[in-house]
Amino acid sequence: MPSKLSAQAIQDLEQRLGKEQVLHEKEDLYTYGYDATPELSGLPDVVVFPRTAEEVAYVVEFANENGLPLSPRGSGTGLSGGSIPAEGGVVAVMTRMNKILEIDEENLTATVEPGVITLDLAGAVAARGLFYPPDPGSQKVSTIGGNVAENAGGLRGLKYGVTRDYVMALEAVLMDGSHLMTGGKAVKDVAGYSFRDLLVGGEGTLGIVTQVTVSLIPPPKAKKTMVAYFKDVATAGQAVSEIVAAKIIPATLEILDNKTINSIEDYVSIGLPREMQGLLLIETDGHPAEVEEEAAEIHKVLERVGADVIRVAQTAEEGEDLTAARRTALSALARVSPTTILEDSTVPRSELASTFNEIARLTKKYDLTVGTFGHAGDGNLHPTALTDERNSEEIKRVHAFFSELYDHVLAVGGTVSGEHGIGMAKIGYLERQIGSGGIKVMRRIKHAFDPEGRLNPGKMFTPELQEEVRA
Amino acid sequence: MSEEKQSVRSEPRYTKRDAEQAIRKEGERLGNFLPEDAPSYEDILQCMRCGFCLPHCPTYALTNRERSSPRGRAQLAKAVAQGEMELSDNVSFEGFFCLDCRACTTVCPAGVKVGPIMEHVRAQSRNEVHPLPPGWRQFREFLLEYMLPNHDRLENSMLAARLYQRLGVQWMVRNSHLLELTPGALGETAEKMDGMLPKLEPPLRNRVPELVKARGEKRGTVAYFIGCIMNLMYPEVSRATINTLAQQGFDVVIPKSAKCCGAPHLTEGDRETARKLGEHNVETFLRWDLDAIVTDCAGCGAALKDYEELLEGRMDERYLHEFRSRIQDVSEFLVGAGMRTEDLKPVEMTITYHDPCHLAHAQGIAKEPRQLIEAIPGLELVEMFESNWCCGSGANWGLLHPEESEQVLDRKMANVVKTEADAVVTLNPGCHMQLAWGVRRSGLEQEAYHLMELVGRSLPEEAVPPAG
Repeated sequence: MPSKLSAQAIQDLEQRLGKEQVLHEKEDLYTYGYDATPELSGLPDVVVFPRTAEEVAYVVEFANENGLPLSPRGSGTGLSGGSIPAEGGVVAVMTRMNKILEIDEENLTATVEPGVITLDLAGAVAARGLFYPPDPGSQKVSTIGGNVAENAGGLRGLKYGVTRDYVMALEAVLMDGSHLMTGGKAVKDVAGYSFRDLLVGGEGTLGIVTQVTVSLIPPPKAKKTMVAYFKDVATAGQAVSEIVAAKIIPATLEILDNKTINSIEDYVSIGLPREMQGLLLIETDGHPAEVEEEAAEIHKVLERVGADVIRVAQTAEEGEDLTAARRTALSALARVSPTTILEDSTVPRSELASTFNEIARLTKKYDLTVGTFGHAGDGNLHPTALTDERNSEEIKRVHAFFSELYDHVLAVGGTVSGEHGIGMAKIGYLERQIGSGGIKVMRRIKHAFDPEGRLNPGKMFTPELQEEVRA
Repeated sequence: MSEEKQSVRSEPRYTKRDAEQAIRKEGERLGNFLPEDAPSYEDILQCMRCGFCLPHCPTYALTNRERSSPRGRAQLAKAVAQGEMELSDNVSFEGFFCLDCRACTTVCPAGVKVGPIMEHVRAQSRNEVHPLPPGWRQFREFLLEYMLPNHDRLENSMLAARLYQRLGVQWMVRNSHLLELTPGALGETAEKMDGMLPKLEPPLRNRVPELVKARGEKRGTVAYFIGCIMNLMYPEVSRATINTLAQQGFDVVIPKSAKCCGAPHLTEGDRETARKLGEHNVETFLRWDLDAIVTDCAGCGAALKDYEELLEGRMDERYLHEFRSRIQDVSEFLVGAGMRTEDLKPVEMTITYHDPCHLAHAQGIAKEPRQLIEAIPGLELVEMFESNWCCGSGANWGLLHPEESEQVLDRKMANVVKTEADAVVTLNPGCHMQLAWGVRRSGLEQEAYHLMELVGRSLPEEAVPPAG
């Protein structure tokens, strides 16, 4: 199982990048073959850690010369297999390009290398009194480069948007070895095609990002947290729609279903009402007066739609207590069974209730254990199948469950991925969403950037593009 | 009253399942793991590869290499369990390179215990496929199987006394080539280490009666589990713990026949000796009618609390459960019982607290030590950054990886210095020695203490007097 590469090729890499930046023992290859996606993995031939854009360009040249696929990777926390070396080859781990290069307080931007950890960036700008809002669940671990590649979301999406909304400029190395610069610090920029917007969410299939400039905003001055419980999940869904219809955009609007509530209670016993079918965690932030006003308005809406219990935190400490359930959701579900398959179905907000109903129906139909939590304000749900990878028959039912759920999601105008990406995990679903015409255009774009199909192959769509494009 | 209960247990000690049955049969091998002491496949599968452990792993922080991370280690174990990989030298290396600090378990959403999985990998690695260097094996057997299981031998043997007294774990930690050293060079090393280690007092075990009576109104009866390192290296701390328990109104039983908890054996992968010690200790302590079994050694506490798992199938589970329910860290016990503070003398000092991994992560105890500090008049706590990040001691880890141990210690000392506290305080002898060494090495004014030393200073009187 060791590297297929010749000793000479490895030696060349070591000479150029330094011995420490090249790994090729089988234990290293094995551990750079996966990310956080269940069931999927690959096996690279060599793993490299470039430290500069020039070294990235060298790695590209090396892959081209040796006819190898090349997959960029951050911390490997992705949930769609975006960084898995599906066809082997070179894995370029970007975590050693981890410098924060500049925080520009006049232009409200930060410029960083792609290996900077998301939370480190947020912390560094917070120290200057600024705010970088995107907060994916893995922010303590994930890299900015990975966030850009997957266009990562988080809990603040509804009010503050996602990674794409903050990327102002990118530098990347393309497969011909050239360095691309796209975007800048100017707030407005309509000069030509926006390559920046192609690379964001491009899942590392178009170029390897070597520098990222993000925009920053002033942080909110106050925050208010509340929790509401519902005896049926449809009412919870209705509450979400009506809060937004009341012209309020909460910073956080999260939902947990009954299975999740009970799993949390089994795990930490914090006194959650087990009979409740839905829990909404709501946070509003901004100017203190505005926050108070919004909180009062939300309270009225919750009463009107018929929330069964409403709790409003009077202090920051109480607020922390109220968010405990949401913070514990994944941990609680992950302990129920060995294998946790977390999905990412996203619908228009108004379809939350119908989607919860469909999840309930399909859970029964396929005889599964599913806990659902998610970013209700964004219509972004994480139905989580609690299963066991050793039970292949059940795993089949899990896949059938999700497949049928996506029929519903697409029928109501939703998307097969709100924030995890397509990667390897959802290749089949993407075509159902955008059609074969959409896939064809994507293949042409891919061909324009990477005619050999060498960069992160096996992601987003099947690689039958060469003939089609050349024909 | 705490008279020794003689043979009150009439039920059989052992369940019908004997040791043989606890071991997998040849036909049921877990992939490429050996049949004996293979890790649990369930435990391995629980890892969902989310990577949330990565920023909390000291060895991953050193190497930025996935295989040296908790997720990487769990996945390597999975590859071996599924027969995709041999139990190779590199897998074995990562087993021993794991600090077993359990920081990953604290943050793991799925509760994966990579430390214990790696203890199994270590046990699996001590075989003919991964032979130990010549000499090392004899030394290991001497220490693990001959010396540690027997307090008398440890105390009476001049060699062991010198080893622990002058050089102690630090000596082992700093000198991976110790077996190649000539007696002269050994002496020199000893001189260098001198002063970095505590002044030797006679071991406490034979200086205290088997029962120390409660002071004031009696609140109950506890046993004090005297750890090997505490007894030999820090008898004054042990004395302070016993005095505190007595002053707080507890009769304190110190069973003379208690043996090593087995933690060093688990660390080195010698699970069989650990099990024998465990059986002995369970039997010894359950002869007494106790409210709690208290330890001031986080490493011992973590090992004792794991007996249920270690001895599963070897002893009746009711006994194991009863034993488990009695084990408490001294901070956990005192805070739980409620400190009587009215007679305490002030100890004027600012301190910063280092969470021992085997207390904060292995036992989930972080609040109680701070509450105990708060209860002592005069003590003022200044929190350090990353207080629950390992100090780099890790039992024999420093011995196997001296350079890396220094790097982990550097990170810790930088955080200690920033607090400008008078002293750094902890609750585990391994951390205590490592921090004391860190302080001396950096030429700092600060002192390193076991928290119970300071608690002992606040007592109005001492039930057990100092030696001499």
